[in-house]
Amino acid sequence: MTFDQVLEAVSGEPAYRSSRWATQTVDHVVTCDLMSDVLVTDHDEILLVTSLPSDQVARTADMVGACGVVLVNGKPPQPSLVELCTHLDLTLILSPLGSFEASWRLGQRLLGRV
Amino acid sequence: MIPIDPNASPSALLELIYRLKVKDIMTGQVKSVEKDTSLREIQRIMRENKVSGVPIVEDGRLVGMISVDDIIRALDQGYIDSPAVVHMSRKLVVLEDDMPVSFAISSFEKYQYGRFPVINRARELVGIVTSRDVTSGLLLEMNRSLEEMERVLNLQASPEPIGQVKRVFLVQQFDYENAGRASTELKKILQDRGVDRALQRKAAVASYELEMNLVNHSLGGRLIFHIDDEKATIEAVDQGPGIPDLAKAMTEGFSTANDWIRSLGFGAGMGLPNTKRVSDEFDLQSTVGKGTQVRAVVHLKPQPGDKP
Repeated sequence: MTFDQVLEAVSGEPAYRSSRWATQTVDHVVTCDLMSDVLVTDHDEILLVTSLPSDQVARTADMVGACGVVLVNGKPPQPSLVELCTHLDLTLILSPLGSFEASWRLGQRLLGRV
Repeated sequence: MIPIDPNASPSALLELIYRLKVKDIMTGQVKSVEKDTSLREIQRIMRENKVSGVPIVEDGRLVGMISVDDIIRALDQGYIDSPAVVHMSRKLVVLEDDMPVSFAISSFEKYQYGRFPVINRARELVGIVTSRDVTSGLLLEMNRSLEEMERVLNLQASPEPIGQVKRVFLVQQFDYENAGRASTELKKILQDRGVDRALQRKAAVASYELEMNLVNHSLGGRLIFHIDDEKATIEAVDQGPGIPDLAKAMTEGFSTANDWIRSLGFGAGMGLPNTKRVSDEFDLQSTVGKGTQVRAVVHLKPQPGDKP
């Protein structure tokens, strides 16, 4: 799944496009609001779906080598989160969907059902 | 009264007066009396304890205050044997023990009182704070911070052997603005050295877990990185409060985090177990009242017995 497909699936808007936007392939999605749980995932280059709009989302995503973050529930990100994603070159997508809806749509796309 | 302007002081001092709480600087052992105690008895208590104000309590709750001025007036006007309840000040300005010290400083400036009783969330009297407590509390904390900075400078100043990198970061309690910066730096160093992505990730996760533990649970401390071609060593050293039960702390799901920390996405009780999980070597030492030292090592070259 490409980032353009992610964007379409979650009806999102990019708050920051990383330098790998065009070439990145998304194979794993983790939906979680508890960053402690994200830190125990073992997949590389995950797409993190969360409703937590704090800086620690970007820090956590960077530590686990995530390829991007989808912020759901139409939450506006804190300006510092956008700055940090830019600094870390981490894609940040804003979605008006809830966690479940966004995850389900991404899952359908990953399973090739769309 | 206290020569600090909370709105126009150096940022290090501002950070200090917002980080320190009233309970960190107050006098906790307060001599209080019941409301039927005579003013003469209170005068004796003031003399023997060298205090200028005595709180009056009823069932542990603060109901009034007798100051040295009240005693002088009673001696002058001849009612020194009257009970405190008749003459005590009832309109009290109190501070809560969880308020930042900046609030206490503002209160001293605003009300020009010599002392404030301190209550907890249950409205029980837990201490008293004077302007002297504020200045001595700040001096002690500044002294501690300067000692810590000197230690870091000394560590940074020691020469690095060729091919080795050492970095020391001060990590402050509840400093969420900077939380994670040290671990980002570690990851960048490993990236620049061309370390395998999976190993970068293990070291970064171990470092970030320890860094967030320092921010969430310690009174502040240091995160120290030693990196060479063989391994990345991450040490977290704090000044307390220490872990009472190491076995519990290493149990997945056990956490002492409050709701506030959980609302920030942490506090699932996975920090130390996860650090151990991603590390090839792990050591934890802790003494209650003194502090905790954690050492996590990630091998950058495969060694016999390493985890996959």
